[in-house]
Amino acid sequence: MFLLSLLWLALGVAIGALALPARLRPASWGRQGWLMLLGLGALAALLGGWLGTLLLGKLFGTPAALWVAVLAVFLPWLVERLRSGHAPP
Amino acid sequence: MTESEQNSPTPQDGAPAAAGDFLTSAKPAAASVAVIPRDAPPKRPRRKRQWGKWSSRVVLALLFLLGFFLSVVPAGRAVMRGALLLPSVLSATQPGVLIAAGEPFTHTTRTITSQAGQVFLDVYAPVGAPPPIPGSREALVMIPGVGDNRGDPQLINLSEALARVGVVVVNMTTPQLIGFEVEPAEEDSVIQAFNFAARLPGVNPHGIGIVGFSGGSVLACLAAADARIRDQVNFIVTFGALYNVTDVIRDFGLRYVVADGQKVPFNPYPDPIEVMANLVAGTLPPNEGQTLIDSLPPYSDPLPDPESALPAPGAAAAYHLLAGDEATPAQVEQNLAALSPTLKQLLDALSPSRVLAQIHCPLYLLHDHNDRYIPFTESRDFDAALTRLGYPHEFAEFGIFHHTEISSGFGLGPLLGDGSKLYRILTGVLSASS
Repeated sequence: MFLLSLLWLALGVAIGALALPARLRPASWGRQGWLMLLGLGALAALLGGWLGTLLLGKLFGTPAALWVAVLAVFLPWLVERLRSGHAPP
Repeated sequence: MTESEQNSPTPQDGAPAAAGDFLTSAKPAAASVAVIPRDAPPKRPRRKRQWGKWSSRVVLALLFLLGFFLSVVPAGRAVMRGALLLPSVLSATQPGVLIAAGEPFTHTTRTITSQAGQVFLDVYAPVGAPPPIPGSREALVMIPGVGDNRGDPQLINLSEALARVGVVVVNMTTPQLIGFEVEPAEEDSVIQAFNFAARLPGVNPHGIGIVGFSGGSVLACLAAADARIRDQVNFIVTFGALYNVTDVIRDFGLRYVVADGQKVPFNPYPDPIEVMANLVAGTLPPNEGQTLIDSLPPYSDPLPDPESALPAPGAAAAYHLLAGDEATPAQVEQNLAALSPTLKQLLDALSPSRVLAQIHCPLYLLHDHNDRYIPFTESRDFDAALTRLGYPHEFAEFGIFHHTEISSGFGLGPLLGDGSKLYRILTGVLSASS
């Protein structure tokens, strides 16, 4: 599980990195926002991986980590978007 | 910087450029004179950023959908399991990904009893309780044909790989099967193994499939048609199946099969001939039975005068069919007609074609196109009968297997073609309790 946890962390960082060119970084996070996005992706992937393993089995931890991480990097952008009165695209 | 600010033109985009950058005038922009930049800044960077933004979003959306499908949707979980299992089946090894991502498992051996005698079980089970979703595990009762296959590396590899993807595997054999004998009474051994699997902790009693390899396919079908378990069996997988044992004896006698209107040579290996000889010998007086077994080529010299050496009714006819020494269609039909009523009854009792109407579950039929143990036309006949009856089933012929074992040295084309067929069947099998 240690290796899988590392894999999920790496996966989360990659998804966070992909969220940067996707402009999903909330403006209110300031200059260090990019780092927070990477951290959020990694944390969410780790959480998603473990949750997926506990609920669905070890085999499904990785796909669960994938979609939970994507959801996690998307949500802050969506929340800020809604707060600022913009409708999501 | 907000999202809209991020998207606003930057100095590099050309809007608030330095005065020296303009061809004319330092007049305010509000003036009617157009301001033309001397070095018109390229628009491409902004387009590139937009393209990058949307392509990244599309990739993220696809990753989300993929991850969600593979973990939350039951069909997706079967796809995921199949994708992890397929390389293991094709390579006859366990890839590192499967070892790292798969579940740990245990291997235990048990011996139970049936009406036919002892049943030896090899159980490969994932460690621990099944995950809350779906809440139970699928199980497979596998009958790996005749002979002692318990130490076969490919069988062990398949069993371990299945256990790693969360399936409980119960491999069964009996002293009769080990001794190259297939008898209808062995049906009860399969039922006892099935009931054993159903009682294992965490196993879904209605999520158990029976997998029969070669001669084991006969027992798989007979057991699945038995009233004691037929409404409980989730599916049957046959690999290298017999459909009608009399037809197989006919093919042995002719030494060819007819497929797509053409004669295809069929020269059976000694093993299936030995199984058939044992079957016939059981209906003969002991000394004649032994003579039949001991005199079949290629391990023995053929009998100079079978009619004298095997005087029991139908014995010499059976010899000719198995030895293939009277191979014209007329001779073969004559020899088939001359078989003893007891043997004809036995062949009928062993044929899945007899019990087809009593099988209530989907079937997956797999066969090696170049099989020299059981002719591939048997699975074709099986498929045709199931199609006529409108039974749910799938049939696939393969070129990458040697009877029921993966062969080596096949090219990329057969690998992709057969691999995709095998993947479809694996996914179907694994969806039972995904």
